[in-house]
Amino acid sequence: MSKLVQANELRWVACPECDASCKDHPLPPKSFLRCIRCGTLVKKAADSISLQRAWALAVTGLFFAVLANSYPILTFDVAGNTQSNLVVTGIFGLVDQGYWPIALLVFFAGIAGPALHLASVSYVLTGCCLRVRLPGVRRALAFSESMESWNLAPVYLVATIVAVVKLDMLGTVNWQQGTWWILALSLCSLLTVQFFNRDLVERRLEELE
Amino acid sequence: MNDGGETNDRMRLQIAAALVVSGIILYVPANILPVMTMTVVGDDEPLTVMGGVQELYDSGLWPIAGIVFLASIVVPFAKLASLSYLLLTHGSQKWQRQRGTLRHIVHTVGSWSMVDIFLLSILVAVGQLGILASVQAEPGCIFFAAVLVCTLFASECYQARLIWKTPKTLPT
Repeated sequence: MSKLVQANELRWVACPECDASCKDHPLPPKSFLRCIRCGTLVKKAADSISLQRAWALAVTGLFFAVLANSYPILTFDVAGNTQSNLVVTGIFGLVDQGYWPIALLVFFAGIAGPALHLASVSYVLTGCCLRVRLPGVRRALAFSESMESWNLAPVYLVATIVAVVKLDMLGTVNWQQGTWWILALSLCSLLTVQFFNRDLVERRLEELE
Repeated sequence: MNDGGETNDRMRLQIAAALVVSGIILYVPANILPVMTMTVVGDDEPLTVMGGVQELYDSGLWPIAGIVFLASIVVPFAKLASLSYLLLTHGSQKWQRQRGTLRHIVHTVGSWSMVDIFLLSILVAVGQLGILASVQAEPGCIFFAAVLVCTLFASECYQARLIWKTPKTLPT
């Protein structure tokens, strides 16, 4: 009888990386299913807490994204003249100098990317965790995946550190609280990606449809 | 997303190849032209990408110089080289798994070259103190950003599953 049940449960899952069909089987807790062809992680054992964790992190990250964009990141001081800047100040500065393609790129990767990524993940997970059917949730899931590689908050953080080092040679430079919010945003983004279990989300969405 | 037909796949391959070739061409001016000019108390200093690294290294902060060197010189070059290799060996059945891993690394590490662009935006924002200190973006940054965008979209276009396509299933 149990064998029959197992045979019924048997299904195939496509590897997200190379598209090979992998034989699915019920996974014991904390184990993985790896693609036999390319070795990519196909799915993790389902644990209901991981979606909630990712949800909490994504929503928190979104909150930090707002703070990161509304507080100055650095102040720079040369001979008594002080200048402080937000993330957007740099974008306006580049537009003023006529380099709007670069400004657009910075806006997209530094402000829009993290916010859109976390917003779409939050939307999908709100539906999954509260078990409600939200409109356009599939599209939001696909969108969150394409935005994931544009969430460059950690890269911006490194750029801030390098900027401090460079400016330190020219004048007095001080960290402002915006940097801490960027740090918090980066951590939330990285952990959200870590806990986001795509296979589980897919299954939850199938149940709801 | 993964059920595109043969023509779709061939199109992806061609777009990826076109992007990589453009990237290689743009890589030259991106490294020769200055990316920014820093003016401190009347002293003009145009800096190329390598010049910026040199300056950091000279100031004795070699870990930071190392990070910038890796992110803005090594990563774009390695990306172009790896993508060319992947596209040239497309259809071959050798080392498929390793090529898959290589593509994965290229895809994840690639965006780190954005450090230089973000850095420029921060410096431009802060360096607005008139004659005391100013930072002006220079044309090199446009080329640098173009290389970056080319490689990002090329690795997006050349999906991992294409590595596993044999010549039989994908006539070239």
